[in-house]
Amino acid sequence: MADILELQQVSKTFPKSNFKLDKVTFSVPYGAILGFVGENGAGKTTTIGCILNTITKESGTIKLFGKEMKDADTGLREKIGVVYDGDNFPAYWNAKQLSEIMKGVYTQWDQELFEKYLKDFNLPAKQKIKHFSRGMSMKLAIAAALSHHPQLLILDEATSGLDPVMRDDILDVFLAFMQEENHSVLLSSHITSDLEKVADYITFLHDGRLIMTVSKNELAYDYAVMRCRESQFQKLDPQDILVYRKRDLWIDVLVSDGKGARRKYKDIVVDHVSVDEIMLLLVKGEQI
Amino acid sequence: MKGLIKNNLYGTYANAKVFAGFMILFGVFVVAVISQSLQIGYVMTGIIGFSVSAVLTAKSDFASKWGKYKLTLPVRRADIVRSHFLNQMIWLLVGILFVGIELSLSSLFHGCPFDQPVDILSMFALGISMSLFMGAVFFPLFYAGGAERGEVFLIIAILCAFGLDFTIVSITNELLDAGAGTVILGIIILAGCSLLAFGLSYPLTVCIFRKKEY
Repeated sequence: MADILELQQVSKTFPKSNFKLDKVTFSVPYGAILGFVGENGAGKTTTIGCILNTITKESGTIKLFGKEMKDADTGLREKIGVVYDGDNFPAYWNAKQLSEIMKGVYTQWDQELFEKYLKDFNLPAKQKIKHFSRGMSMKLAIAAALSHHPQLLILDEATSGLDPVMRDDILDVFLAFMQEENHSVLLSSHITSDLEKVADYITFLHDGRLIMTVSKNELAYDYAVMRCRESQFQKLDPQDILVYRKRDLWIDVLVSDGKGARRKYKDIVVDHVSVDEIMLLLVKGEQI
Repeated sequence: MKGLIKNNLYGTYANAKVFAGFMILFGVFVVAVISQSLQIGYVMTGIIGFSVSAVLTAKSDFASKWGKYKLTLPVRRADIVRSHFLNQMIWLLVGILFVGIELSLSSLFHGCPFDQPVDILSMFALGISMSLFMGAVFFPLFYAGGAERGEVFLIIAILCAFGLDFTIVSITNELLDAGAGTVILGIIILAGCSLLAFGLSYPLTVCIFRKKEY
């Protein structure tokens, strides 16, 4: 199936901070959740800004639903739901006022669905947002993002700062949203366990550059980390090494074919690798 | 667009209701006391005050991520700017209505406190043109310089509005002969200049806002 979101060679430079988003290329297929991982300042929010046109890219192409989105393409934005980290809405509003505003903005705003979400999330309609907890604010933002029947959800650190129970509730909402096969989610998060739970693909970004995009199945079944001593490391085939990181007593080596590594290097311990560990190896490790 | 206007109305209402409370108390005092200076003060405060509340809504959008979030809604940047300009017009009308009621009550109890009815018109024209000049200066500065400098831009906008108004009044007084017809012409020039500035400020603000990144 075609891609709902496609980025090709997207670049953006911020001369004052010396940061550069460098030729980022990835795509989100219809019916998939793509987790977007990277350290603070890696460029996740900048990439999302470029996608949503809140930031102007310097070069490259971004296609949403097969089309480059301009300021005037309001129809495309009808099909996107967005949740930012933190306070998405003014503190002096309540949920009822939010729905009245959204009703006047989205042609497909579904008031019944919004009220259903308020009920499911236990959110009071007339209480000011400033009295909401962080979890309640995020749930309200998610309710607003879903109540106009979007096809694509873009979530920038939407689960950060929430307790595990709240995060689990929110991830369940995303999974329910994915029941429709033409729906997709781009989920940027520091919390890699969330991505392991829901993402179909994970894209690693480091220092403005895209390191890799892998499917969760590949991560679970193919990628692995070898724990080598120095002497074992010296004997490894350089082609097998994606990145390595020297620790006090051993060297961690990330490989993309764990089964092959187990067969090839019988005296080396080969462990499954978590998204967290991959991120650390990619960020802090070295390449041959 | 309807949603954006509602958003601005809610935003302004939060500040304007406090200001309206003050204006009601001030209005009771002004109605009770027979003073032309107080009447002038009340009219200017009312008309400009509600407009100040309206322009400050643009700043309150950026107290949360709402200012950035709005850009992801199915609206154009020009619509966002237009909604702020419309919001200022709405609250300018609210201000006019407010001081109009007070002035009517005062006239009912004490008669017209001014020598000529045209003086009332001049006073309203001055207040309205100051509000329009203020908006015309504030919005481009605000979008160019950022929400964090909102207060200083508001001060600059108010001072510019004072300056522009008194420059226009001084020039018209200098060039035109005294008389009721001249006063009307002066009002028309004042209103025309401020409306023109407000109208030109809109495309300039849109142009600036289109280039901004959030």
